[in-house]
Amino acid sequence: MKMYVAETEKSVKNIVVDDMILTTDMPTSAGSRMLDGYMSLFEAQAVTKLKEAGYTVYAKANTGEFNLDLLGETSYYGAVEADGKLTTAAAQAVKTGETMAAVTLEVNGSGARAAALSGLVYVKPTYGTVSRFGTIPAVCSGETVSVTAADAATAKEVLWAIKGHDDKDGTSLPQEKCVADEVKEIKKVAIAKSLAAGEDAAKLEAVKAKLTAQGVEVVEIDAGELLLAKPAWNILMSAELCNNVSKYDGVKYGYRTPNYTDLDQLYTNSRTEAFGYLTKSTVLFGSETLSEANYYKVYDKAQRIRRVISEYLMKTFGEFDAVLGLVSSKSEYTLAQAQENKYIAYDESLYIAPAMITGIPVVVTGGVQLMGAPLTEAALLALAETL
Amino acid sequence: MKYETVIGLEVHVELATKSKIFCSCSAEFGAEQNDHVCPACSGMPGMLPIVNKRVVDLGMTAGMMLNCDINRVTTFDKKSYYYPDLPNAYQTTQWFSPICVNGRVDIETSKGPKSIRIKQIHMEEDAGKLVHDDWTDTTLVDFNRTSVPLIEIVSQPDISSAEEAIAYLERLRDLLRFAKVSDCRWEQGSMRCDVNLSIRPEGSDVLGVRTEMKNMNSLSAITRAIKYEIARHTRALETGCEELVQETRRWDDNEGKSYAMRNKETAGDYRYFPDPNIMPVVIDDEWLDRIEKSLPELPEVKRARYIDEMGLSEYDADILASSRALCDVFEDALAVCGNAKETANWIITECMQVLNKKKMTADMLAISGTSLGQLIKLVMEDKVSRPNAKRILAAMFENDIPDVEAYAKQSGFIVSNDTSFIENIVKEVIAADPKSVADFKGGKEKALMALFGKCMKQLKGNANPQVLREILIAEINKI
Amino acid sequence: MDIKTLSRLQKLNQLNLTETEEKELMDFFAKAEKDAEILATVDTENVERMVYVMPMTNIIREDIAKKLYTRDQLQEQAPEAMDGYWQVPRTVE
Repeated sequence: MKMYVAETEKSVKNIVVDDMILTTDMPTSAGSRMLDGYMSLFEAQAVTKLKEAGYTVYAKANTGEFNLDLLGETSYYGAVEADGKLTTAAAQAVKTGETMAAVTLEVNGSGARAAALSGLVYVKPTYGTVSRFGTIPAVCSGETVSVTAADAATAKEVLWAIKGHDDKDGTSLPQEKCVADEVKEIKKVAIAKSLAAGEDAAKLEAVKAKLTAQGVEVVEIDAGELLLAKPAWNILMSAELCNNVSKYDGVKYGYRTPNYTDLDQLYTNSRTEAFGYLTKSTVLFGSETLSEANYYKVYDKAQRIRRVISEYLMKTFGEFDAVLGLVSSKSEYTLAQAQENKYIAYDESLYIAPAMITGIPVVVTGGVQLMGAPLTEAALLALAETL
Repeated sequence: MKYETVIGLEVHVELATKSKIFCSCSAEFGAEQNDHVCPACSGMPGMLPIVNKRVVDLGMTAGMMLNCDINRVTTFDKKSYYYPDLPNAYQTTQWFSPICVNGRVDIETSKGPKSIRIKQIHMEEDAGKLVHDDWTDTTLVDFNRTSVPLIEIVSQPDISSAEEAIAYLERLRDLLRFAKVSDCRWEQGSMRCDVNLSIRPEGSDVLGVRTEMKNMNSLSAITRAIKYEIARHTRALETGCEELVQETRRWDDNEGKSYAMRNKETAGDYRYFPDPNIMPVVIDDEWLDRIEKSLPELPEVKRARYIDEMGLSEYDADILASSRALCDVFEDALAVCGNAKETANWIITECMQVLNKKKMTADMLAISGTSLGQLIKLVMEDKVSRPNAKRILAAMFENDIPDVEAYAKQSGFIVSNDTSFIENIVKEVIAADPKSVADFKGGKEKALMALFGKCMKQLKGNANPQVLREILIAEINKI
Repeated sequence: MDIKTLSRLQKLNQLNLTETEEKELMDFFAKAEKDAEILATVDTENVERMVYVMPMTNIIREDIAKKLYTRDQLQEQAPEAMDGYWQVPRTVE
């Protein structure tokens, strides 16, 4: 397991945060050589809130570079494998009982996938209910601080400790919305067929059986609109990432190449030597979506598609209390598979993209995801507790 | 062939706020390098931008002063490029929905009045400052100005000469300083101007090749740069000695030349997109009304009112109306003391003298007009002598004096009306200086002045000069 | 995507790809663009773009200046600094 452990005494309420969440007693590197050993002058609001609630933030879990990848395989510090299978350091820390929960920044689905493949419970709350202050910005319009735990009750406990309005985050919702925990009974659930194809289809069947046994009506819907999310999210994600990592240029802090004589070389060589291929390719793709020739055709189009998907989901949540789907196409991945297909994270973003692009809450349990309308994470977690 | 010049100006003005636009660092000018800096404005990850409300207030104020329409929903966008003075490698600005559009500035030129249309005003953050170090042959980076709030005022290409450009810039400066939007100091970089210029055959409606010139930091430099660029364009069109290309050029005022800037290959590809971290600013009627009510009278309206209604001379009115600070002190003081001429004198003569001594400009006059009014009233009522009033005024420049009469009493500056007290002092002085008494009686008028001065000194200036003079003569005559 | 545009993109973003990486990325562009064709089939002419997933307005603060960090703290991790300045190779305008 790749973790940086702080010199803090462990308590019974130990929490691991991932490498995208700033702490002042441990370095925060975003899994990148660019920020190797970087010490922040301030800590994330989520960390402050955890401490205030009596938790000990005792270690920093390794991530893929800017959390863009499948399961942490792009980290400068190396991938994490368990029993020959790829997983994330955060999920592994929870799975081994090393920590009661992991608090991570969900950017492109690695947190949800790791939880699903490890049989853990994961919750990505509604966008704006946990402050992003003190998280390394990658995709500001969608990334959300999320929680992974062994069971739904623990996930809820830790999530409610970090939720809350924060004046330091301009997208932070009002306090009453952040902590809304009204639990509406879930009576009707849809399975999105567009997100149901994959090796883990049996897990979906198992959850369906449990729901039906509880008297919940489960209906299959096509939900073809959700297939728009992957390409649209890829555009928005890449564009924002391009902009957010442009600040890493070898001037103020972080990696500076030894190979330069002029400013241009300083910039280019620092970035070229310190960023991995996935970050580079995402930056270049994102840059192109924002070029003068492409802006309206590509980027602005994706922003409109985002509304189309959001409206489709709102309409669906008018009829169903939750939507079920898979989290990945396979039930396990090896490091070799992830390294062989350079675009595996993009391919697998199909499942998580609808929730990332619209900011709706997601709960992963039993290897599948439950999506709900904004601010219904309490109800989704309550349902997960019964599964 | 005769050519005509087409000029559009982009004017950057730093707003008069206490803090920066997206973080709480001080926006004050003149700090030590990198002293007004935090993780947000030095490009460290994890802080999020929160818009300074005062920036929006001042953006609206500027728009109203320049007859603009205010966009009721205004948003912020990111503009990306690499340069060491831009720590995030993006500048947050307004590209899609600027705060103000469609304005107008009226100017006077030797050819008569003219209107220059304003295309838009947008809010944005300033960049840092680069200092070149010759010893190490490196560039040093100072982020104090990074994220200081700016507005950029973009004119339509309605300007056709250097003279018009200067008239426009001077008028803009007057209006913005009057509305306290900015101190507009060219020398401190709080007002800057880029010139977009092209020329075309007279009467043609096709625009010529346009060049943008940067780095002019005074009105005279702008005049020189425009004249140089017109000559360069004309020569290029007439002789074909140089091909004009659309480009950004840097003005070198020492050499009196403009140079094409490097890095053309990727210039202009700024990849603007809306910043998802900054929610739209929605301006409702109440907000609009509040700003509208706070707008100052225009300087020329004030000037006319000072002459017509208050009976000031044109000279005095010109001086007062040249600075909002002078007008504010004048009007507040007048409201207390009720004597316009006297108030104008105190400001133009006495206050200006103190400012000059302190090497400060009129705009920096920061004393309370109400206190000054109280002081003038005390002088007019003969309660405080003029020399002592000047001492009190000097004290006002150091500290706020809300109750001037109490301060005067406490400092022993109240004129004595007790004639027997004055008589006793006069008797003492006469007794001690029989020579001056004799001289005066012998016809030397100057001797009286010496005695008068001694008495006044004993009285610490707190006597009505007329009363003292009468008592003095009366006492001498008794001898 | 062609190699000339890709080379310009690298310059614009201060990155250099190896030839192999360039080829891989060209493939990705082709793949992603093909996937994005589905977006063009949706009529979005009357759909407003969605920049904020949980929209709010007027998240603004009062104009109050605070000093929270010192220059030394900020420059502690600077690759190069001199006399309180960050330091870079000489810029040419």
